[in-house]
Amino acid sequence: MNIDVREPRLLVTSDAHIGSLFCDARRGLIRFLEFARAHDFNVCINGDGIDVEYTTLRAFTAETSAFLRELRRLTSDMTVYYTVGNHDILLEHYVGDWGRLQLVPFLNVSSGSKRIRIEHGHLYDPSMMTDPNLYHGIRQVLCAMCRMYPPGYYWHEKYQRLRFRYVRRLLGHDLHALDSTATRDISPAFLEAAEELAKRGFDAVVFGHTHYAGELPINDNRARYLNTGSWFRDPHFVKIDNGEVTLMQVPAGLR
Amino acid sequence: MAERYLDERTYATGDVVFAEGAAGTEMFIVQEGAVALTRTVAGREIFIGAQERGDFFGEMSMFTGSPRHATCVAMVPTRLLAIRSGELLMKLRRDPTLALEMVAQMSRRMAYLETQLVKLVEHQLEARGQLGKVMARAEFFSDDPEP
Repeated sequence: MNIDVREPRLLVTSDAHIGSLFCDARRGLIRFLEFARAHDFNVCINGDGIDVEYTTLRAFTAETSAFLRELRRLTSDMTVYYTVGNHDILLEHYVGDWGRLQLVPFLNVSSGSKRIRIEHGHLYDPSMMTDPNLYHGIRQVLCAMCRMYPPGYYWHEKYQRLRFRYVRRLLGHDLHALDSTATRDISPAFLEAAEELAKRGFDAVVFGHTHYAGELPINDNRARYLNTGSWFRDPHFVKIDNGEVTLMQVPAGLR
Repeated sequence: MAERYLDERTYATGDVVFAEGAAGTEMFIVQEGAVALTRTVAGREIFIGAQERGDFFGEMSMFTGSPRHATCVAMVPTRLLAIRSGELLMKLRRDPTLALEMVAQMSRRMAYLETQLVKLVEHQLEARGQLGKVMARAEFFSDDPEP
């Protein structure tokens, strides 16, 4: 397991949730990987690439087997890093090098003169940190409910958004000063975690998990927090090109 | 945002971060720049290694309570994050992956030291072998009856 890598050109995306009942991103992600290969980039799928929670065995096997076949074909001439998230947490048991597919818990990338930390970010989710057993119990119930009534997932997301806005108001944060949903609608814990990581000498910290794409300066403007959102809607990716780090929308043709 | 419980320190080129033999209760993470670690052996300064962005050092004294084993000097303008033992626990609670990275870095250092040790032993054995040959030859000649 190599967590420190040098990658001049790397694209990072996250939260494709392949196999999920609510997201059909398999073809899109394959197109994205083919696009990266054609432009001489390696790729990091930053967690929740596949989804073992919001799924059924039938959907999971059908979607992931097709995806893994494609992945095997593509990794014949490009390296794909896969950082483990919470919806694919069972992959923690397989962490290691699988040829040119590298399964890692997180990644420290050196590119040009920059150091970039790539991590899914679920470790900093306050509900997961406070009581992991309760968190997983609630998730199981939610998954079962969403299987019976799929639109319930979007109500759940809306509830989370409102909850974090409420928490921020309680903390006295100025919601209007936070420029985008990427920073306004997520728990402050993620930005605090990104700050902590940036203090260790990173120029950029790339998370997924929250499903809200965006970026924000952190660590006294010495570093940046970036989030690639999710493939549920408006997927983004981070382009790392010889030290230049840019957050971009996945072009419509690739989705 | 995270409260400032960690100590950030800046050093100019050539500044001494700590000296060999001094007491040490904190470890450092290189935020920016680089430092060199040297040690004095038989009156000669030996270069042990350089630590760059993201690397950590000084943990041996913090964990064992022993004096600093080396002198640390900033090679370029450098900013360090100083972590005392009590703060390390708090840092690990806020930044749990640091523990894994520390283990990974320490494993790499250990592998490097083992390789160096094996080389040293090989070198010693080789030197001993050569010495043995020289001694055997000397013995052979000394056994020669004088004409």
